[in-house]
Amino acid sequence: MGLLTNLKDSISKVSDRLFADEEPKRIGIYGPPNAGKTTLANRIARDWTGDAVGPESHVPHETRRARRKEGVEIERNGRTVTIDIVDTPGVTTKVDYKEFLDHDMEKDDAVRRSREATEGVAEAMHWLREDVDGVIYVLDSTTDPFTQVNTMLIGIIESQDLPVLILANKTDLPESNIQRVANAFPQHETIPLSALEGDNMDEVYDKIAEYFG
Amino acid sequence: MPHQCTACGHVFPDGSKEMLSGCPDCGGNKFQFKPGSVEEASAEDTGRSAGGPADRDATSGDVTIEADRDTPPEPDHDPAPGTGRDAEVTVATDPSSTDASPTDASPTDASPTDASAADPDAAASTDAPPSNAAEDDAQASARSEVVSSDELSVTSNPDAAAPSSREDASTPSRASEAAEDADVGTDPDAADATDHPDTRTDTDDDRAGLDALREELNDQFESIRIVSPGQYELNLMELYDRQEYIISLQEDGRYVIEMPGDWGPDED
Repeated sequence: MGLLTNLKDSISKVSDRLFADEEPKRIGIYGPPNAGKTTLANRIARDWTGDAVGPESHVPHETRRARRKEGVEIERNGRTVTIDIVDTPGVTTKVDYKEFLDHDMEKDDAVRRSREATEGVAEAMHWLREDVDGVIYVLDSTTDPFTQVNTMLIGIIESQDLPVLILANKTDLPESNIQRVANAFPQHETIPLSALEGDNMDEVYDKIAEYFG
Repeated sequence: MPHQCTACGHVFPDGSKEMLSGCPDCGGNKFQFKPGSVEEASAEDTGRSAGGPADRDATSGDVTIEADRDTPPEPDHDPAPGTGRDAEVTVATDPSSTDASPTDASPTDASPTDASAADPDAAASTDAPPSNAAEDDAQASARSEVVSSDELSVTSNPDAAAPSSREDASTPSRASEAAEDADVGTDPDAADATDHPDTRTDTDDDRAGLDALREELNDQFESIRIVSPGQYELNLMELYDRQEYIISLQEDGRYVIEMPGDWGPDED
């Protein structure tokens, strides 16, 4: 009898723990290749957990598998927002190994990278459909935001009714044009930042708490 | 391009979505393109990857292809009325026509007049005038299905088939072959220049149909087009829309698809 009681106790303890707290929201960091998604993910993860998410690189498609950082607790105005960050591979409609040859890469490596990048895009699109509760959409503010990929992804995100935060990254660069990003997606708020330099991260965290809390 | 299970070698026809639920033979989920088995493998074919969402389309897609490939041999043994070929069978087995000209069944002796003698039956059942055009229509309707390989070999080798038609014209299955032979023989064009042009146009028609089908399936299901190794074009909407996804593209066109554990009708 004692055994059964113990068992019952431990089961109820486990279920208490399981259902006590709301599941942290999974926030996907999406955007085209080289927009600074991993730099942002690392910035957020380092600021709040001390760990990084993954390696950053100037070479496009450095991130070829979605990487998750779970239980990132962001404190804003006395309350805590817990999110799981999913850093996704850059989404694109074309992957060409020749693009990597310019970055001092052997052909075999470039072909492999391109293959992995393609798998990564497939995975990222899959996550968007199945596993994401909100999206941080990162754009390189030095480039034209009017692209097929951006329009399509924002469209998908809107059709899913997912909360989305649009970030105009790389404001540390002189060619940065925040207004162009804001004009491209006037239905959403655009927040400028430099994930690399850590500029304007306070506003980013405010908005994360507001949108995904 | 057709696909092949890398574990057991099971080949899936181009455009088949059967593989999306795993290999029916061994349950494997690793497939490769099977190059060389389709002559006119176009650039569009090479990049076509997995099919569409099985929960929605598995039945329709499969059935179309399988049915096209499987049905042609059956009508030879199945005397159901209605199709053009069956009308020809009626001609061959009809006592009056066989009595009237037993030797006419052999293609070598056939002539336009013999054809008109045998035609009324066919014309009555196909509602077409008893001319050569009527026979072409009948053939066309009969061959709107895919021509099976043995059927092709029969029509392209009248000499090989002729003996059987002479010996066994009474048995239904033979009779249908004989009818087709007679059919070919009564066509003046075919008599002049053998039946090769005839056969070729039939095949071309089929090919055009298959091409259209393939085109349609490509449009419908393509998510990753492999332009060449290391060069890919991605259809983001397709990738987003489907439940399964590609987790590993490998050398030589191989790829692995991640599939949901259960393929029940539970759409989330």
